[in-house]
Amino acid sequence: MHEPEWLAPASLEEALALKAERTDATVVAGGTFVGILVNQHLLAPTAFLSLGGIRGLRFVAEHEGELRLGALATHRAVELSPLVREKWPALARAFSLVASPRVRNRATVGGVLGDADYASDPPSMFVALGARVVVQSRHGAREIPAEELIVGYYETSLAPDELIVEVIVPGGPHRAAYRKFRTRSHEDRPSVGVAACARDGGLRVVVGAVAGRPQYFPELCTGEPASIAQAYAEAIDPIGDISGSSEYRRRVIAVEVRRALEEIAA
Amino acid sequence: MSDPRATGSARYAEDFELPGMLHARIVRSLFPHARVVRVDASAVPESCIVLTPDDVRDLSPYGCQIEDQNVLAERARHVGDPVAAVAAPTPEQAEEAVPLVEIDYEQLPAVFDAVEAAQPGAPLLHETAAAGGAAAYFAMRPQPGTNICHRFRIRHGDVDAGFAEADAIVERMYRIAGAQHAHMEPHACVAHWDGNRLELWTGTQTPFSMRDDLATIFGIPPEAIRIVSLPMGGSFGAKTFVRTEAIAAALARKAQRPVKLVLPRSEEWQTLNRHPATVTVKLGARADGTLVASQTTCYADTGAYADCGPGVAQKMGFAAPGPYRIPNVRVDAYCVYTNLAPNGAFRGYGQMQSTWARERALDTLAEQLGLDPVELRLRNIVRDGDVYCTGETLHDVRFAECLEAAAAAVRWSEGRRGKGIALVMKGMQTPSRAAIAIERDGDDYVLRCATTEMGQGAKRALSLEAARLLGVDVARIRFPDPDTSLVPYDTRTTSSRSTYMMSRALAEAVRDPRGYGEIRNEGGLDPDTGQGIASTHWHQGAAAADVEVDEETGKVTVTHLHTTTYAGRVVNRLGAELQTEGSMIMGLGTALFEEVAFEDGQVINANLSDYATPSFADVPTRFTYELIEEDGADVHGLGETALPPVPPAVGNAVASLGIEVDELPLKPETVLAAMKVRV
Ligand SMILES: Cc1cc2nc3c(=O)[nH]c(=O)nc-3n(C[C@H](O)[C@H](O)[C@H](O)COP(=O)(O)OP(=O)(O)OC[C@H]3O[C@@H](n4cnc5c(N)ncnc54)[C@H](O)[C@@H]3O)c2cc1C
Repeated sequence: MHEPEWLAPASLEEALALKAERTDATVVAGGTFVGILVNQHLLAPTAFLSLGGIRGLRFVAEHEGELRLGALATHRAVELSPLVREKWPALARAFSLVASPRVRNRATVGGVLGDADYASDPPSMFVALGARVVVQSRHGAREIPAEELIVGYYETSLAPDELIVEVIVPGGPHRAAYRKFRTRSHEDRPSVGVAACARDGGLRVVVGAVAGRPQYFPELCTGEPASIAQAYAEAIDPIGDISGSSEYRRRVIAVEVRRALEEIAA
Repeated sequence: MSDPRATGSARYAEDFELPGMLHARIVRSLFPHARVVRVDASAVPESCIVLTPDDVRDLSPYGCQIEDQNVLAERARHVGDPVAAVAAPTPEQAEEAVPLVEIDYEQLPAVFDAVEAAQPGAPLLHETAAAGGAAAYFAMRPQPGTNICHRFRIRHGDVDAGFAEADAIVERMYRIAGAQHAHMEPHACVAHWDGNRLELWTGTQTPFSMRDDLATIFGIPPEAIRIVSLPMGGSFGAKTFVRTEAIAAALARKAQRPVKLVLPRSEEWQTLNRHPATVTVKLGARADGTLVASQTTCYADTGAYADCGPGVAQKMGFAAPGPYRIPNVRVDAYCVYTNLAPNGAFRGYGQMQSTWARERALDTLAEQLGLDPVELRLRNIVRDGDVYCTGETLHDVRFAECLEAAAAAVRWSEGRRGKGIALVMKGMQTPSRAAIAIERDGDDYVLRCATTEMGQGAKRALSLEAARLLGVDVARIRFPDPDTSLVPYDTRTTSSRSTYMMSRALAEAVRDPRGYGEIRNEGGLDPDTGQGIASTHWHQGAAAADVEVDEETGKVTVTHLHTTTYAGRVVNRLGAELQTEGSMIMGLGTALFEEVAFEDGQVINANLSDYATPSFADVPTRFTYELIEEDGADVHGLGETALPPVPPAVGNAVASLGIEVDELPLKPETVLAAMKVRV
């Protein structure tokens, strides 16, 4: 076994060029996900494409009323940002509930979307807030609605030559909530995560950690909290794992969706 | 003083190196029960040494209490059973060589549940009873033709007559899941042969048992073996007796070079866990709450090899009746082989299992009698001078004080909804021996003893005690790592015995002109009647919990956890407090979510993400404890006392809300299911 190559571009342009050329390279940002896969021998790439040296992708900023998060902004930076806390408090909360401070100091916005792990917190919140993900290749950038980025277990809709560069979260008045339901330790991944956002008379309810991708059913987002919750519980076929059986998760979905909706109504 | 453990300069077993050493990895069975038909190592590069069952055929089977395990298995009895091993110049090369060893198996029927395995007709793991091991301190009672490798009984009074007198009887079956020690530093050792002398540096709580077992295995005198016990980055019972050391030593013998073996994290779950158990408790009382009979049946699942399971089952059994006056007692405890990874010593040693069962049953009985659970306990509690069901007289008894203090801490008298309480009575290794020699070196005093350091602060406690007794500053006390070639014999650093036993030996040594002190505690039980002396020194404690249950999801939140421990004289205050806090947090893990999960005998959560342990964020907002102290009293061991009563205190608190859960952990899903049947 050879030592894998470590590609460390200093600019986004360089990174995009390498992304296109080196199809064998695994992208690594904070490394909290990739590191575990490598240690457990689930991943043995010939090369790593490290984004850590790229300048200018760590921003957490407001631009024309929207929140813009650079792909390399850490969970901790989002969680502690006074801007995010003031105007997108549910997003700050979703990030603050991930793992432990040790993980949040390393884990990035691009990484938690790029790994497409079903048992994550922030992706559902992004979907509920109507966020767009800016992805870029050598040939240019495009925006994808957050709900179209993660398509299945550990699977995204990124083209092989694309990188996530930014996430844009719409601003303006809204009421949002994030509820993380854990069955074990406080530092555990969610058994069920519920993100909800009411804006301009519309409602988006998203359930995470129960299936291959964040579960969002626009057609079920009207009515009373309890009936929406029940409809979500019936529409989702939850996964069963060490954090809860399928049957149990269905029950929790009905409870936690209702609670999230009551929270934003309050 | 900066603690080397905090600055990162501490050297653990994992850090130990010898020049020219090789790095080893174990090749493990993929099947829970299978005959090894062929081991083919021809694909392994020549730079590696491969150890196969052929290489260890001259070695004797081993086992601290029953010699039922071979260094490498020709018949694998659990997923992960060592079948071969490799040693290579680098850890990476060793790791790469593992999948190159080809093994053909012939699968055999397997059994994964102790109750099932104890039945006649279950697939047998060991057809013939093996010899008793060097560390067996009681007579073994294997049941021929079954998987029961030890049966322990208490027969006291007439239980049937007792139940006939009872106005209320409760009988329930309780279960407790297996747990992983999850010590930070994995098992690590370095073995080296100097001619026919074996030297071994390892993190172990049991240097002398290690020496004796390796002497049996290699057929050499114990004096030809030197064990150095290096400081451990945690153990909690996992680093006891022979774990990886025999394989490392056999590899070193074949390679003619030192060999280092460090377990990868995932292999810890294949090496040793805590006994899953099924405990059935039947209690009978008069209408006024006076207990008249107690009957307990324990099945301790010891996995593929007995290890110290017989001792665990015996302790589970002998303390099962608990600190209560009961005229008629019957206990049957079985240590049962199954095709799971071996289970062995784990902080709480058998008391986690039987305390959960008994203390839950007492609350159910109180409910049935319409009595306050504290009242019920106080009515029956043992007092100084009472005779336990083993026939031994109890001294320095403080259970009532522990119970009342714990109840007061959660304001029991102001209403008991959401509150629960539990008592623990835990024995200490009996019989045992401790010895220490004090040497002068200039102005310094050097303590030569086998007490090992695993983070519990034994070195600190004994150094403080030595400084006090010698009347010198603690900076003048040195305490080198135990080396069996330099220190007098000591039974082992287990069962919260070392501060108690070794400090008494130390006091002798200070008085002795040669600086040598030795202490023994005598006793033991008849395995058929349970009569004798179970423990010369009982650990006494109580826990109380205040909980909230999310009625819709079953999630339990502990809002206040309190423990009271009888400490006697405190030797090292900070150490005593940290031991108590650590026990309580560990207890919360067992109470709420820790569980080794299996599928067809294979552990499916063998990593620290899928196997959750408590974090500091899981510590309840109110987290309190007290040590009951008494000047001039004995030192009381307290490394484990605050652990076993935590799960039943939490379970009883949940039960006070009408939710009876008989199974640990109290997972939200389990609690929710219990709510559906609530009365
Ligand atoms: C102990 C632990 C507990 C955890 N608990 C939680 C939890 O409770 N909730 C939760 O939500 N998550 C949890 N996580 C997951 C954690 O949030 C992710 O590991 C983390 O967000 C990944 O970010 P990273 O920057 O470290 O990603 P990396 O490990 O560097 O990369 C992750 C993946 O994303 C890809 N990637 C990274 N950046 C980009 C990019 N810019 N463009 C395209 N692809 C990219 C990589 O190729 C890789 O496949 C936990 C992780 C750990 C280790």
